[in-house]
Amino acid sequence: MTTLTHSSDPPPLTGAAGPPGPPGPGRRPRRRRRELSVLLAIAACVVLVTIGTVFPIGAVLASAFSAEAMPRYAEFFTSAVDLRILWNTLVLGLLVGLAGTAIGFLFAFVQTRLDVPGKRVLHLIALVPVISPPFAVATATIVLFGRRGLITHDLLGLEYDIYGLDGLVFVLALSLFPVAYLGLLGMMRGLDPAMEEAAMTLGASRWRIFRTVMLPLLAPGLAAPFLLLFVEAIADLANPLVVGGDYTVLASRAYLAITGEYDTTSASVYSLILLVPSIGVFLAQRYWLSRKVRTTITGKPSGSVHLITGWVRWPVYGLAVLVALVIVALYGTVIAGGVTRVFGVDYTLTFAHLHEVLLGVGREAIADTATLAIVATPIASVFGLVIAWLAVRHLPRAGGWLDFAGTLGVAVPGTVLGIGYLLAYRPDRYAGDFLVLPGLVGGSAVAGGSIAIVLAYIVRSVPAGLRTGTAALSQLHPSLEEASTDLGAGPMRTFRKVTLPLIRPALLTGLSYSFARCMTSISTIILLVTPGTRIITSQILSAASTGRYGVAFAYCTVLTAIVLAGFGVIRLLVGRNATLHRVAGSTERHKR
Amino acid sequence: MTATRVTTDSESAGRLHLDRLTKTFESRGTAPVVAVDAVTLDVAPGEFITLLGPSGCGKTTTLRIVAGLEEATGGHVRLDGDVIDALPAQRRPMAMVFQSYALFPHLTVSENIAYGLRTQRRGKDETEAAIKIALTSMNLLGLENRSPHELSGGQQQRVALARALVVQPKVLLFDEPLSNLDAKLRGAMRAEIRRIQRRLGITSLYVTHDQDEAMTMSDRVVVMNKGRIEQAAAPADIYFRPATVFVADFIGRANFIEVVPERMDADGTVISALGREMTVAAHPDVRANGAAYLMVRPETLSLAAAPEGGVGSVLRSTFHGHSVDYEVETNAGTLAVTVPGPEPRRLLAEGTNVTVTIDPGRAYVLNKD
Repeated sequence: MTTLTHSSDPPPLTGAAGPPGPPGPGRRPRRRRRELSVLLAIAACVVLVTIGTVFPIGAVLASAFSAEAMPRYAEFFTSAVDLRILWNTLVLGLLVGLAGTAIGFLFAFVQTRLDVPGKRVLHLIALVPVISPPFAVATATIVLFGRRGLITHDLLGLEYDIYGLDGLVFVLALSLFPVAYLGLLGMMRGLDPAMEEAAMTLGASRWRIFRTVMLPLLAPGLAAPFLLLFVEAIADLANPLVVGGDYTVLASRAYLAITGEYDTTSASVYSLILLVPSIGVFLAQRYWLSRKVRTTITGKPSGSVHLITGWVRWPVYGLAVLVALVIVALYGTVIAGGVTRVFGVDYTLTFAHLHEVLLGVGREAIADTATLAIVATPIASVFGLVIAWLAVRHLPRAGGWLDFAGTLGVAVPGTVLGIGYLLAYRPDRYAGDFLVLPGLVGGSAVAGGSIAIVLAYIVRSVPAGLRTGTAALSQLHPSLEEASTDLGAGPMRTFRKVTLPLIRPALLTGLSYSFARCMTSISTIILLVTPGTRIITSQILSAASTGRYGVAFAYCTVLTAIVLAGFGVIRLLVGRNATLHRVAGSTERHKR
Repeated sequence: MTATRVTTDSESAGRLHLDRLTKTFESRGTAPVVAVDAVTLDVAPGEFITLLGPSGCGKTTTLRIVAGLEEATGGHVRLDGDVIDALPAQRRPMAMVFQSYALFPHLTVSENIAYGLRTQRRGKDETEAAIKIALTSMNLLGLENRSPHELSGGQQQRVALARALVVQPKVLLFDEPLSNLDAKLRGAMRAEIRRIQRRLGITSLYVTHDQDEAMTMSDRVVVMNKGRIEQAAAPADIYFRPATVFVADFIGRANFIEVVPERMDADGTVISALGREMTVAAHPDVRANGAAYLMVRPETLSLAAAPEGGVGSVLRSTFHGHSVDYEVETNAGTLAVTVPGPEPRRLLAEGTNVTVTIDPGRAYVLNKD
C-alpha cells in the first residue's frame, strides 16, 4: 500500500463531472461538456506554466540549438576541462544520492526497527535541514571542518581542505537526506509486520530477515530517493559556489558563463547538457513511481513490529546519533556564529551581525524577500491544488501532461531556469514599434525585476502543493464529489465546498512548503536579483563568499525564524486542527 | 508422506501445554488491559484445537504468545514438557499461517515454500524434494514460478500452508487464515486443512471468530471471552452442554428459561418448565434449589396449534423457505422456535395460540452465572 510518495499514474476513473443524468423533459440530449469554470481553470494553469516554465526553457533550448552554439558542442566534447566538469557533476550526483539515501535509510531504520531511547529527538533533528536556508550547512561546515576549522584544525590539529568533492558531498548529503528519510520512513512503516513475523516463525534470524525480506521489499523504494537526491545534487548551485573550491560542476560553470563572461550561448550549452541528466532522471523517477510498489499482497496488515533489542542495535544507533550530533553542531554553529564576533577566533558576544541584518542593509532584503514570498506563496499553493484537482478528477488523459508541466518547475535545475528567464524576459519585446512586454529581468526591469522573481518563486513552489494535493485527492473517494454534483453543485462549487475543506491539511502543508521554498530559494533567484530588489539568500551568498561568516549566520538565523513564523501564521489562517478526514480506503493498522 | 497418522520423532512430539498464561498490556495514562487471563490448556499431540471468541477476547494474543511473537507477562508455555518461554520465535519448532498470508511478494511460489528450509540450511536435494512434495500435495503444480500476486486467494492460502508445513513443525498455528476468502472457497479450504492436518498428525492451534469453522474442524473448541477460557470441549459438548450462558449464547442460538432445580438424580436434575416436569442433564455445578437456566436450542422445540389452552401465542413469524422462525410469547418469556422443513399447510399465523414442547434429551440446565 505504500509507495515512496504517491504514484503518479492516471487517477481512478470518475465521470468528468459526475453522472451525466438523463436529459430533462423538453431538452435536447446534448453531449457532455466541460463546465466553463473547469475550462477557465485549465486555461489559467496552462498560461502560468507557459509563461513561468515552458517559454523560458524554450528560450534556453532555442539558444542552445542556435547556429552559433553548434561549434561549442564540439569544443565541449573535446575539451578536457569541460568533460571534467560533466564528469564532476555526475560523480557528485551519484555520491550524494548514495550517501543521502544511506543516511535516510539509517535514520528510518533506527526510527522504525530499533528499541532505543530518544527517537523523537532524532526525528526532529532529521527534519531540521528541510527548512534550513541554503549556505547554512555549507558555511557552518567551513567554520567547523574547513582549513582553519574549529574541529579539524583547532581540536584535531589537521590541515584538512574541505573545499572540493568531499566537502560538497558532506554538505549536500546532510542537507538533502531528510527527503530520503521521510520517504523511507513511510515505506518501512507500511511494510506488513506479518511478513517479518512469518520469516521469524520459519526460523529466520534477524539478519536473515533483514537481508532476505526487508531489503528486497524496500529495494524498489530505494531508487526513488536516490534519483531525487541525484537530481537535486547536480542542480545545486549554492553549495558549489561556497564549498566547491576548484571542483566545478555544470551548474556553477553555467552560472559563471552568464555572470562572469556574459556568454549566453555557452551558458545555454552548459544548461542543455545539465538538462539532459536532470530531465532524464526526473522522467525515470516518474516512471518508477507510477509502477505500483508491491509491498503487501492481500489482507490487512496484521501483527506488530518487533523492535530489535539485542546488542546490534547500539552500533547502528551510535551511527545515527553521530550524524545527528554533526547536524546539531552545524546548526548550533549557525545560531552561535550569528552572535559572536568571529566564530572560531573571537567568541565575544556581539549583536553587530544581527544589527546589520535586522536594521542595516539587511532590512531592505528582508522586507523585499518577505513581500515577494507572501505574494507568491498563496498563488503557488492554489495553482498546485488546482492542477492536482484537474489532473486527478477532470482530465484523466491530459492530466498527466498538466501534472508534468507543473512539476517541471523543480525538475529543471534552478540555474537553467534562471538563465531561461534572462534569455526570455530581459529584452523588451516589441511588436512592430509597440512595446508589448517590457523587460522583466535585469537592471532596467519593470518593478526592479520583482515580477520575474515572483514568477520564479511560483513555478519553483507549485510542485510542492501539487504533490501534497495529488496525494490528498487520490485518497478522497470520488463519490463524495459526485454526491455534491448530484445535488446540483457545479464543479467549482464542489471544489470549494466539499473538496477543499476535506483536503485542508494538504493545503496547509502545501502553503508551508511553498513559503519555505520561496524564502530559501537561490539558484534561479540569484540570476534575477537587481539593485532595486534585494533577496536574503543572495545577500547570504555575498556575505559567505567574502568571508563575512558572522553576517551570513545572522541572515540564516533570521531567515529560519521568518520561515517558522510563516508556518505559524499559515496554521492560524488555515486552521489549527486541520486533520485529514479519513473517508474512503482509510487504513486502520494494528489489530489486537 | 503416508496416509497413516504419523508422529514425527517420539510419541510425545507436539504436546503443548499452556500454564496460567497471562498477558497484560500497559499503556501510559490508561488502566492496564488484561488481554489473556490465566489461560490453562493442554493440547495432545496431533490434536486440532480452535480458539474461538468475539474480537478482543484474547485468542489471537494467546496464539501469538505460543508462537513467541508476543511475550507473556505471566505463566508458561511448555512443549513436550520443556518450558519454552525464553525461546525466540525463530527457535520454536512451530510454523504459523497468517491472516494476511504474509507471503513474500518478491519471491516466487517455490522460493516462498523453500524459505524455511533454506533457513534451516537443509541440503539442496532435500529442499527440492520437499518442495516438490509440498507442491504436489497442495495442488500447486505448475504455479511454482508465479509471484504471489499472480495467484488467487485460495492459491495464496495453499502456498502459505505449504510454506508452514514443509519445515515439519511440531505445532502448526493458524491466525484466522480463511477470513479473507469468499464463503465457497472457505468451505473447501476448511476440509483441505483438516484433511492434511489429520494425515500429518500435527498439533494445531487455530484461531477464528467463525463458530462454523470451529465446529466443523476441531477436535476440541476453546471458547474464550475477556481473556479467559469459558469452556474447552468437543464441538458437540460445546453445543449441547455449554458450561456458561456466554458459550450457549455465542455458539448457535439458545433460549434461556429460568428454572429452580428441584432435586438432582443420576440423569441430571428435575425441573419444571412450561407447566411440565422433566428430568434434564445438568452442568456438574448445578445444585438443587439454586438459580439456574434451562437452555433449549430453538430447533429442538416443537410447536403445535392449540385453539384452546396452549402455553403461548405466536408473536412473530419469519419465513426462510427451508425453515420458519417463530417468536412465541409464553409465561416463561419470549421463546425462539425454529421449525425446519415447514409444511405449507401447517404454517402458523401471528396471534395463533400454540403449545411448545421441550425435548428433555436435547435441553441442558446450567447455572445462572
